[in-house]
Amino acid sequence: MAASPTSSEIPRQITLPIGVAFEVVMQGIRIRFGRSVVTVTGVLFGIAFLMSIFTGIVLKNGLSSEEQLRIEVNRMLSFLIAETGQPKGHVMGLIVDGSLTPAEEKVFAELDAQGLDKLQVVAPATVVLPVLSSTQVQRVALDGVGTGASAILWTGEKEPAGGWTTAFKGSRQAVLALTRNVSAPQVAPDVHVVFLASALSDEQKAKEQAATKRENFRNGWIITISLLVTVIGISNAMLMSVTERFREIGTMKCLGALSAFVRRMFLIESALMGLVGGLLGCVVGFVFSVLVYMISYGFEPALHATLAGLGSLILFALASLVCSLVLSTLAALYPASVASEMVPATALRSSI
Amino acid sequence: MKTAEEYYDLFFESEGDPKRPCVIQAVDIKKIYRKSGQEVQALRGATLDVFKGEYLSIMGPSGSGKSTLFNAIGALVKPTSGKVYIDQVDIAQLDTNELAWLRCRKIGYIFQSYNLIQVMTCLENVMLPMSFAGIESEAAREKAIKILEMVGLSHRILHKPSSLSGGQQQRVAIARALANSPEIILADEPTANLDQHTGQEMIDLLNDLKCKLGVTIISATHDLKMLQKSDRILWIEDGRIVRTAKPSELDFSSKDFH
Repeated sequence: MAASPTSSEIPRQITLPIGVAFEVVMQGIRIRFGRSVVTVTGVLFGIAFLMSIFTGIVLKNGLSSEEQLRIEVNRMLSFLIAETGQPKGHVMGLIVDGSLTPAEEKVFAELDAQGLDKLQVVAPATVVLPVLSSTQVQRVALDGVGTGASAILWTGEKEPAGGWTTAFKGSRQAVLALTRNVSAPQVAPDVHVVFLASALSDEQKAKEQAATKRENFRNGWIITISLLVTVIGISNAMLMSVTERFREIGTMKCLGALSAFVRRMFLIESALMGLVGGLLGCVVGFVFSVLVYMISYGFEPALHATLAGLGSLILFALASLVCSLVLSTLAALYPASVASEMVPATALRSSI
Repeated sequence: MKTAEEYYDLFFESEGDPKRPCVIQAVDIKKIYRKSGQEVQALRGATLDVFKGEYLSIMGPSGSGKSTLFNAIGALVKPTSGKVYIDQVDIAQLDTNELAWLRCRKIGYIFQSYNLIQVMTCLENVMLPMSFAGIESEAAREKAIKILEMVGLSHRILHKPSSLSGGQQQRVAIARALANSPEIILADEPTANLDQHTGQEMIDLLNDLKCKLGVTIISATHDLKMLQKSDRILWIEDGRIVRTAKPSELDFSSKDFH
């Protein structure tokens, strides 16, 4: 009864298409819905936290730049008004060199709101003139500006062609208001110059940079911890899922499932939960953060900052989603290898 | 009581018959487990042949190595030493991929606790080994329905196993074991969790399969009715095969069976 071993008779088991594993996973998730929901919730919280921090950064930047703009405009206006008196009923000149900054546009809007009568603008034809509600805006030639004006706003960074004096031919009484940093303009001695623009000192700049750096570091730290907790949570849930299914996995192996199939099954399951948790987490984190900012900064500024930062918010949401997918797949690597290395005889153990 | 050597003659009787080749041969298999530093010898050199189309029952007290022998000849565990041949192929030479093919196509497993996949319907359970074998799902569905009809479950194919009785679940398990038309069916105490009547039905079903399809059945059991139906009974004790016998030669009323 000696056997004659010829080991080439057994063909290799085929590798199944990914769709089969996917179907099995979907059935599993449907049946163990409660457990899947708990796992997804874990992912959801982790990603919601990440997204709320991202949203917070975007909104805070938006709000603080708006706040800075407001302060800048108020300062410019109060300097101007201190020199020329209330703008109500006045005529002002505006010489545009290049395009207008948001701060400058706001200054005009404020002047308009305070009852400025007329704005004479000298600007290249390509520049769109500010649209004001009650002030009459006129495009004039350079030598026509300043007639009867209380101030001439200068938005250039260089001297005008022909020198400052030319620009003031019409009105020697007008104040020359410089809205940008122009160093030592060469003007006639009787022209009164007001510097409206402010420049941050190097010390202030360094301080601000240091504060930003500190905050970035702190945010990075918090995000890392929260993601770590999420990864461990998913890993734990998947390990539980493997333990719970010891017999099921053993049975599948007895029925001819390859280890790679079992591994893939768990990776797909985890990635799916990561995807769903990540999607929901992005929405929840975003909504939560926006609501908090609306409560503390008011509805409109927060909404404005959200809309202004929409582009970067979408990028951050995508990043969170990718992060969720990658992390949940990583978290499932160990549980999946535990499952795939299981011996099929596990299925035969009668005790559950 | 006859000695193992005397019963050994039975092997030679059958081996001379060219219509009954061996499907499984185990040659001096030993299995040593390590349990918390201690070596446990589950098998101390078991040798047996299983012939094509026979119904072999394995008996033995718990801890006798019965499960280990069962797992070893079913290609579920690798013996520490000795060889197991399935269809003349040494399974120690096979890689995981080829073993998976063997488990999928050649052998059908029936478990004491059914081991149906709870998340799938009966139909999906029966279709699963076919999808592992790469059978296209429409064809698999048709075949699965046919097999479920054969085991008398055509009316419950879309139920989940949890909603079925023990006997019905075991029928699904048998249907699943038959899915890829295996040559060998390994049944581990298939009637242990069933009542008398359902157990009898299960035995009839297995016997039917043997007669109609020529399937080789190996089962570990204590069930008298199963033993009576089998072609050969094999005793294992303390990791060794101590007796083999035909049911006709045995006195089922003796204390050995009670």
